Amino acid sequence: MKHAPTGALLLALNNTPLALFAGVLIAFGLLAPKFLTAANAANVLIQSAPTAIVATGMTFVLLTAGVDLSVGAIMFLGAAVAGKLALGGAPLWAAVIAIIAIGIACGTVNALLVTRLRIIAFIATLGTLYVGRGLGLRITETRAMNLPDNFVALGSSRVLGVPVPLLVLAGVLVIAHAVLRHTPFGRQVYAVGADAEVARKAGIRVPIILASVYVISGLCAAIAGLLSLAQLGAVAPTFGSQKEFAAIAAAVLGGTSLFGGRGNVLPGTLFGAVLIQSLESGLVIVNADPYLYPLVTSAIIFLAVLLDSARSAVLARLSRRRIRQEPEST
Amino acid sequence: MTTPQLQFERITKAFAGVPVLREVSFDVPAGATVGLVGENGAGKSTLMNILGGNLAPDAGRMWIDDEPFAPRSPIDAARRGIAFVHQELNLFLNLTIAENLFITGFPRTAGLPWIARAELHRRTATLLAEVGLTISPRTPVERLSTGERQLVEITRALSIDARLLILDEPTTSLGARETRRLFELLARLRARGLTMIYISHTLEDVLRLSDRIVVLRDGEVVGQGARGEFDVSRLVSLMVGRSLTQLYPTRTRAGVPAARRREPSEVSAGQNAIAPTRPSAHRTEVGAEPSALPSSAPLLEVRGLSQPGVVHDISFSLTAGEVLGVFGLMGAGRSELARLLFGLEPHGAGEIRLEGRALPRITPQSAIRQGLAFLTENRRDEGLCLHASIADNIALVSLREHCRGATGWLDLDSIGRAVRRMREAVRLTPTASNSAPVKLLSGGNQQKVVLAKWLLVQPRVLILDEPTRGIDVGAKFEIYQLILGLADGGAGVLVISSEIEELLGLCDRILVMSRGEIRDELRREVFDRERILRAALHASKAA
Amino acid sequence: MTALATSNHEPRTTSSALRLFQSEHLVLFLAAAYFLALLPFTPGLAARANLVNLLATLLPLFVLAVGQTFVLITAGIDLSVMSTVALTSVVGALVMNGDTGWLAGHPLAAPVGVVVMLALGAGVGLVNGVAVSRLKMPPFIVTLTTMMFLSGLAIWLTKSKTIYNLPAAFNALGGSIGSAAAIATGLAVLAHLTLARTLLGRWLYAVGHNPWAAGISGVPVAGVVTAAYAASGLFAAGASVLYTGQTETGSPVLGQRLLLDVIAATVIGGASLFGGRGKVLWALFGVLFIKLIDNSLNLLNLSLFAITMVKGGVILLAALLDSARTRLATVAA
Repeated sequence: MKHAPTGALLLALNNTPLALFAGVLIAFGLLAPKFLTAANAANVLIQSAPTAIVATGMTFVLLTAGVDLSVGAIMFLGAAVAGKLALGGAPLWAAVIAIIAIGIACGTVNALLVTRLRIIAFIATLGTLYVGRGLGLRITETRAMNLPDNFVALGSSRVLGVPVPLLVLAGVLVIAHAVLRHTPFGRQVYAVGADAEVARKAGIRVPIILASVYVISGLCAAIAGLLSLAQLGAVAPTFGSQKEFAAIAAAVLGGTSLFGGRGNVLPGTLFGAVLIQSLESGLVIVNADPYLYPLVTSAIIFLAVLLDSARSAVLARLSRRRIRQEPEST
Repeated sequence: MTTPQLQFERITKAFAGVPVLREVSFDVPAGATVGLVGENGAGKSTLMNILGGNLAPDAGRMWIDDEPFAPRSPIDAARRGIAFVHQELNLFLNLTIAENLFITGFPRTAGLPWIARAELHRRTATLLAEVGLTISPRTPVERLSTGERQLVEITRALSIDARLLILDEPTTSLGARETRRLFELLARLRARGLTMIYISHTLEDVLRLSDRIVVLRDGEVVGQGARGEFDVSRLVSLMVGRSLTQLYPTRTRAGVPAARRREPSEVSAGQNAIAPTRPSAHRTEVGAEPSALPSSAPLLEVRGLSQPGVVHDISFSLTAGEVLGVFGLMGAGRSELARLLFGLEPHGAGEIRLEGRALPRITPQSAIRQGLAFLTENRRDEGLCLHASIADNIALVSLREHCRGATGWLDLDSIGRAVRRMREAVRLTPTASNSAPVKLLSGGNQQKVVLAKWLLVQPRVLILDEPTRGIDVGAKFEIYQLILGLADGGAGVLVISSEIEELLGLCDRILVMSRGEIRDELRREVFDRERILRAALHASKAA
Repeated sequence: MTALATSNHEPRTTSSALRLFQSEHLVLFLAAAYFLALLPFTPGLAARANLVNLLATLLPLFVLAVGQTFVLITAGIDLSVMSTVALTSVVGALVMNGDTGWLAGHPLAAPVGVVVMLALGAGVGLVNGVAVSRLKMPPFIVTLTTMMFLSGLAIWLTKSKTIYNLPAAFNALGGSIGSAAAIATGLAVLAHLTLARTLLGRWLYAVGHNPWAAGISGVPVAGVVTAAYAASGLFAAGASVLYTGQTETGSPVLGQRLLLDVIAATVIGGASLFGGRGKVLWALFGVLFIKLIDNSLNLLNLSLFAITMVKGGVILLAALLDSARTRLATVAA
């Protein structure tokens, strides 16, 4: 078995998103120099915050080889409830608590569907997607809600000179990264993703790990919904729509594998989210046809998943068992 | 450090009515290394699975330090200090060595769920040093060689303060240098007083490493004692067994095969040559002498077939009407060879010729078109669509022959007739209807369905991998008859098996494989159990 | 009469309730029971106009479900069918429409339009199929991505506008209930014959049951899987012909909300997400069931959100049913 070519292949596959990013920067930079300014960079980062946060939660789920298609609906539902409360005169902190609670509740529902009722992840979360969105539409009565000013102020205010969205983003990323890298729970998530059966034999409580990641995903979706709400100042019926897509794309572009066990939040998922946002911002700056956005985004996602599948196939081929040592082995 | 005295007392286990362990009893003294040897199917894995908490015995008991030991899960066994290093390593490739070792017991900082990395790496480094592995604890396991991974598994055993270490075929995937390193480690562990059970087919290694040796055959202990009481020859003759209950059809060549029990007096432990029992029958196709092999033009010719890491320089030929056996122990490369022949895996070098025609690129589809058939060793995973009906399974390969026109319109009547015909030919149990899912059938009947599927395309060369695995005695006989019938009809049959007896009873010639190579070839006249086993054990030939 | 049966025969069970549960016709009974139960409470449920309307909306959904059945049998899923409907609708309209169409006013506009739509649908299916079978990408993400792309493409092509003025001949195909029923029945019969009586059909079931055993038995697995997705795309295009004719417009958002209906209907009807099971008749039962729920909820004046929520619940129910059926089939002996 030739190792050198497959090693090079893996290297190429692992670094294509980076090359893609460079390509995006170069292409848009050439077309519109405004793209490469610091102000634009900060802007892109702030705009990418909600996607990055949802993608962080999604990373946890993807690490266990699962998927959560309901995150957009959870964002919407949380935002709808918070908006309703805010418009009804409730204080800010009540709305925040409500959103968090909804995120955790929805995540728990997903967790139960997947671990207890053994429904395939994508169908289960597809179901909660519809139920969640339905509930949200009911609460907002399918109208857009404009939020009171104190809410919007949250989205554009700064603490110590740093915009609040960035603070929230940083907070979520750092905590998520710390959990995945430095806690026993986090390492067990990776173990379950690598091989759930071996994990079980090793004494890891696999159902608890699986359930937890969906709760985490729900929580992150809720936080992202809160942030997005504060940034937009309104809840339209299309709030959070297709965010699950962007989240999966961000994670996969950042190196997380759909097949489980591989991936990280910092720099991976953050990078993926920024890449996607740069793409969108770039398209806006060069005045590209807005109708092209979904085309470009889906093409990128397709590419990301293709790379992931290719890498998975190469790794599988490399780890095939050898039953004899060839004479020239070291 | 107290080490356990382990006792097995009349451990008995059967699977689906087939006995696998019969009242196995032996002791493992504290601090000793016990070598456990036996052929495939002798019961070693089952016994170890019982010890390791994966299975429960039907009868019998185990004792550790004179206290009853009945683990209900691997975790129970681990808690009593038993560490199992399997052939299939249980490691997480995406994690580091340190993380693998402490995945359920990370050292924490101040009691919080925060991994104390410095402490983690320190402890890991200490363990690795004991094992002689000078690699950073931070290394991801996927970057380690197989030998290094194995040492990590052993390290894991030490990390849980194991008092009994079980090693199952540890040297199969190791090169010479890694094997040496492993043995040095085992010697150190032995000096520390760790009790070990060492399972291996490499008899010289077993003799070198063990204090005591236990030999299993057909689920029974047929020999145990101090190492000094054994040598390779004695071990081989103890391992070689005779199943006195299996009937083998004789090859008459003239018609229906007749059954004949092989008397023990014909084949005793001393004289291992088996006299030909075939009556001289008239052969219509090839006017050769009765004791000569069938038609000389080879049906299948393989020259220099190699695939790095899998098989090396395989050459043999198969003639029409011949039953060629391939014997080898687990990991010898027989199934891998079969898959190469059928086109399921690519091969690097070498040539395959079918009826004189070279086959450059082979895929299962082209193989079938050329007249090859392949009954895999795992019928449930690769041989059957378990939830599909008997009829659908039987018809699967030959469907194309019942098509009319370009649309692939199926002639259901002709399919039905073919299926019914084949059902009778293989004597499938009449109680199951054609539309019942094959899942419900017994192992023997399931295997007959797979065989029927292939027989319908009238293959020229049939490759059978473990055709009677997990099948009761009666069904085995029927399958033997079918195999011989096939050969009588002019096909060439390649039978891969781990049961020497089976091959001795069925085949005209036997190839013996070990470590991906063909080590020996025996014609019927010189069939010799010990010679076969020796070759398979890659032990040196006896003088 | 041949002794050969299809691969979907249930094992014998002891209790008759259990047997009912596993019966092929369970969903039909449920639908009938539901209909009868709701009759007294729902005004206009049994009115002729309502039933005709029900039938009209049921037919295109049925065609979609039949296509989805092909994919489900191979243990895959096609989430892109709705956007295939939208795209083919738009492209067909672009070709055929009397104002700016490429073949505006041409006598062959309608037939060419139909052919283009079908070819496009099959082409989309081919892309999905190749991605799943040869590039080894997970079906749900591939078809999710294709869905997004095709949807975006449809909207881009029309700049979000609907296209009017389609040839009358074309509109009649889907608009006239008789014609629509004939087309749907024709497609269904074609599908049924393929699944039950052709080589491809047997191969589809084999691949769904056990792709490794199928491959070793000489089935061209990658080709078969690709064919399943191509069929799904083709049938989506067929459904689009009906929808577009009914609405008499080429719309980029055609059938956007119906994805859930298709999957729920196919799975409730009895096709398994795990592969190896599925029949055209079951798709019909499932569609009937879903449409009845839809229709009755509408008549009961339930809000859109309530209906969406109910449907979400329905799909979860369908998945549970599927898992239960699979587990029962494994246990029964």
